[in-house]
Amino acid sequence: MLKKLQLKKHALTAISYMLPLVVAAGLLIAIGNLSGGAVIEDYSQSYSIPDALVSLGVLGMGLLAPVIAAGISYSIADRPGIAPGLFMGLIANSIGAGFLGGMLGGYLVGYFVNWLKKNLKVPNWAEGLMPMMILPLVSTIVIALLMYFVVGVPIVAATNALTEFLTNMRGTSNFIFGSVMGAMAAFDFGGPVNKTASLFADGLLLEGVYEPEAVKILASMVPPFGVTLSWVFSRFFKKKIYSSREVENIKVAFPMGITMITEGVIPIAAVDPLRVIASCTIGAAVGGGLSMMWEIGSPVPSGGMFIVPAMTDPLKFCLALFIGSLITGILLFALKKEPVKQEEFLEKEEEIDLSDLKLS
Amino acid sequence: MKIVGIAACTSGIAHTYIAKEKLTKAAESMGHKVKIETQGTVGAENKLTDEDIKNADVAIIAADIKISGKERFKNKKVLEVPTNIVIKSPKALIKKVEELLNEKE
Repeated sequence: MLKKLQLKKHALTAISYMLPLVVAAGLLIAIGNLSGGAVIEDYSQSYSIPDALVSLGVLGMGLLAPVIAAGISYSIADRPGIAPGLFMGLIANSIGAGFLGGMLGGYLVGYFVNWLKKNLKVPNWAEGLMPMMILPLVSTIVIALLMYFVVGVPIVAATNALTEFLTNMRGTSNFIFGSVMGAMAAFDFGGPVNKTASLFADGLLLEGVYEPEAVKILASMVPPFGVTLSWVFSRFFKKKIYSSREVENIKVAFPMGITMITEGVIPIAAVDPLRVIASCTIGAAVGGGLSMMWEIGSPVPSGGMFIVPAMTDPLKFCLALFIGSLITGILLFALKKEPVKQEEFLEKEEEIDLSDLKLS
Repeated sequence: MKIVGIAACTSGIAHTYIAKEKLTKAAESMGHKVKIETQGTVGAENKLTDEDIKNADVAIIAADIKISGKERFKNKKVLEVPTNIVIKSPKALIKKVEELLNEKE
């Protein structure tokens, strides 16, 4: 039953639509802030270009919940899901249920639209009205009222409790929380585990908690920087741990890393997953823990090194990032063996149980 | 046999293309004709034409997310898998597809 609902697939679909929005909005805020802009309160007064950029970025952030809700509901119910999904996101925003509320609203309204499509029979003459009026109106009314009066309440409470819990956390527990976040964000190089951590951080950002976002940014950059450092060590100490093909990949992964794209490390991790994943995860966990313990916050969710100046403590962030990357680099250098021949790797296949696959 | 397919992942910049590469290489090495459309963040690339789909024996959808244009495969045999299966064991997957097709006939 649960498998059939494909909850994860719907969330991932929504995230894939949300990512470019987060990145653009985040960078707008960062660029605007760095050039001295502030949110425009009153458009009848004069404002500068940086002010306009910051304001637009903030507006974009406000679209997160609607887009995630609409994305989930579209993934479930196709086109008829988009409009009611947007509504649910807006409700989540206004009642303070944030990201979690948006996701829940998206699921609810998506499945409800599907249910309506199946069970609501209309006379022939009304067929055309079905997608145009009946589906969006009925689904919006029903789920909206549910959101406002029933499910919204516990979600708002949960969001508030979580926010409070994190704001009050200090010292050791902070380090542990940062480590877990960091480890998750680095673990699969931009895959679903990373996206889960990322979703969590973005959600908290909307609640005004900035620290997890810094951890996420740090942990996304530790793998590429760490791998690059280990290559530098290998050159320096003349111990060959990468094939020429891998070195080419590292040269691509590093600049990608500067912009916070961890995916560049995938080709290197694919050759030797265990060692690379372990080294990157440990490095990111330590870096993330430090960042959290030092209470470094990032008001911007994405942008890599370019948004570091916008953070609450850029210097300490760089230090935490460096320590994390250094640990990853040293671990890789110590653990890695002679390079694997690329051809061997391409031939190698993992055993996976394919027995329950079916053609449809 | 002739295989068409679609690859799509969450961030749409890496796994999508790795999946395409792996599937194409594996299928070709096993003597099949193959064309994979990628639906990354930049949009659809290497688009499947109606002709491609008409002539195909099977469609493989390797995706972690909802893909667009699934209705194109309405009358086709379709296999849906997450990208990681294609990335980890493309050849075993194609062998499985061969088996499934033979069973049906």
